[in-house]
Amino acid sequence: MCWAVPAKVVSIDSDFVATVDLGGNTLKKVAIGVDNLQVGDYVMVHAGVIIAKLTKQQVIENIKFIAEQIKEVAEIEGINPDEAVKSFMDAFSYILKDVEGESSGG
Amino acid sequence: MDLPKQIELIFRENTPLAAKISDEIAKLTPKVIEKTGLDKIKIMNFCGSHEWTTTHYGLRALMPKEVELIPGPGCPVCVTPSSDIENMIKLAIDGYRVYTFGDAFRLPTVNHYKKDQIGSLAMAKAAGADVRIAYSFVDAIEDAKKDNKPSVFFGIGFETTSPSYAVLFAKGKVPKNLMFYSSIKLTAPAAEYAVKLHKATKRTPVSGVIGPGHVSTIIGAMSWDFFPVKYKIPAVVSGFEPIDVLTGVLVILKDLYTGDIKFTNLEYKRVTTIKGNLYAQEKIREVFDVVDAIWRGIGTIPKSGLDLNEKYSEYNARLQLGLKEKPWDYDLPPGCRCNEVTLGTAYPDECPLFMKACTPARPWGPCMVSMEGACAVWARFGSSQRVLEIIKEVKSNVLGSSG
Repeated sequence: MCWAVPAKVVSIDSDFVATVDLGGNTLKKVAIGVDNLQVGDYVMVHAGVIIAKLTKQQVIENIKFIAEQIKEVAEIEGINPDEAVKSFMDAFSYILKDVEGESSGG
Repeated sequence: MDLPKQIELIFRENTPLAAKISDEIAKLTPKVIEKTGLDKIKIMNFCGSHEWTTTHYGLRALMPKEVELIPGPGCPVCVTPSSDIENMIKLAIDGYRVYTFGDAFRLPTVNHYKKDQIGSLAMAKAAGADVRIAYSFVDAIEDAKKDNKPSVFFGIGFETTSPSYAVLFAKGKVPKNLMFYSSIKLTAPAAEYAVKLHKATKRTPVSGVIGPGHVSTIIGAMSWDFFPVKYKIPAVVSGFEPIDVLTGVLVILKDLYTGDIKFTNLEYKRVTTIKGNLYAQEKIREVFDVVDAIWRGIGTIPKSGLDLNEKYSEYNARLQLGLKEKPWDYDLPPGCRCNEVTLGTAYPDECPLFMKACTPARPWGPCMVSMEGACAVWARFGSSQRVLEIIKEVKSNVLGSSG
């Protein structure tokens, strides 16, 4: 029961219910469980309630966190950390390009 | 393509990165073993979705033989006491409409209603009772408003589900004909219980924990700080894609190697923060009290549940309908080892009933019901311990190392 799915806010129907698109134009009324929700926000929906917002900046932060871990492990192993991070970021580059190009959501 | 779909691609369909991280894990593990003196690095998760990802994507097969990933108490459906389901069945038979999540619909009881005839809400519905599966509390409210029939919502879940109830109660949107039966559980007390159990017995102690991403989205990653502080165990709040879980393992290994386990790590930064969802926390505090709760097959864990507070007592089905708490008794079907699976002291396929008397089509024990139950996950995706042992043996013989 702890799985949440990403969705896009289509409309805010009241101060406690919004309609979200779960993908493929599957629309669902859900409770609003976050502050300052806006139409167009990307959110995580769990069991009919919005539990978090999702922005591309947060995604990039997430990727940077993983890169930092790779770097620290490379240092432990005596490998050039910058090269380790570069090869890591290369694995993300094509996707990051698309995410950076997203027009909304954050 | 939408951002959410892109995120799935980033953290799910990224084989080169998965290979890189698992390679780092393989290289780091012997260093950790040498430095800590541990024979085995046991890492416990506390979310059925982490177990799903670990098993579905075969992440155990990517681990060195010294790294063991085990499921912990991470499925609210699995730990819902039999007596709660029995109460719901009785209400349904007595003429109340009972709303339930689909996960709990087939949960088996120990004591059957009316001469062994009814042992689940599904069977009650088949017998003519008004049992309805709801996607959410919002949907149940909308449905209950259509008529004035006395109804009860079977409120199960962890901290992740609690806001869906709390927001609607706090906003005054629950109709008078819809009562609420709380069987909500809190993850952290059970996680601590499981880790203490491993430590107190002769089992290999838990060396690291992967904290539940979406529970932490609500309660905040800092909620797991007691593991590093009190038990000197690194805790990583991870997301639910394969890259997330692999990164979580890597972070735990790194922390064990460096000995820097003072801080709560936060892998799932795209959704979770250190303090969590303050709005949801406020609504939960407004509506619920923390109470002692019964965990199926385990017993009472202090302060591990939520129940409606006095302000909302008119909605409290336990109070209003006189559903008295019974003293807890062992509440698993004969032969079932779900309690051991829940606490990480037995793998699903160590249960003699696994895929024999107990299958996803005909679940005998609660961990075989929900898609987040460890037994159901193992049954569907074939994460047999024996297969893993063969893989490790082959790796050891062929490669001559943990890689």
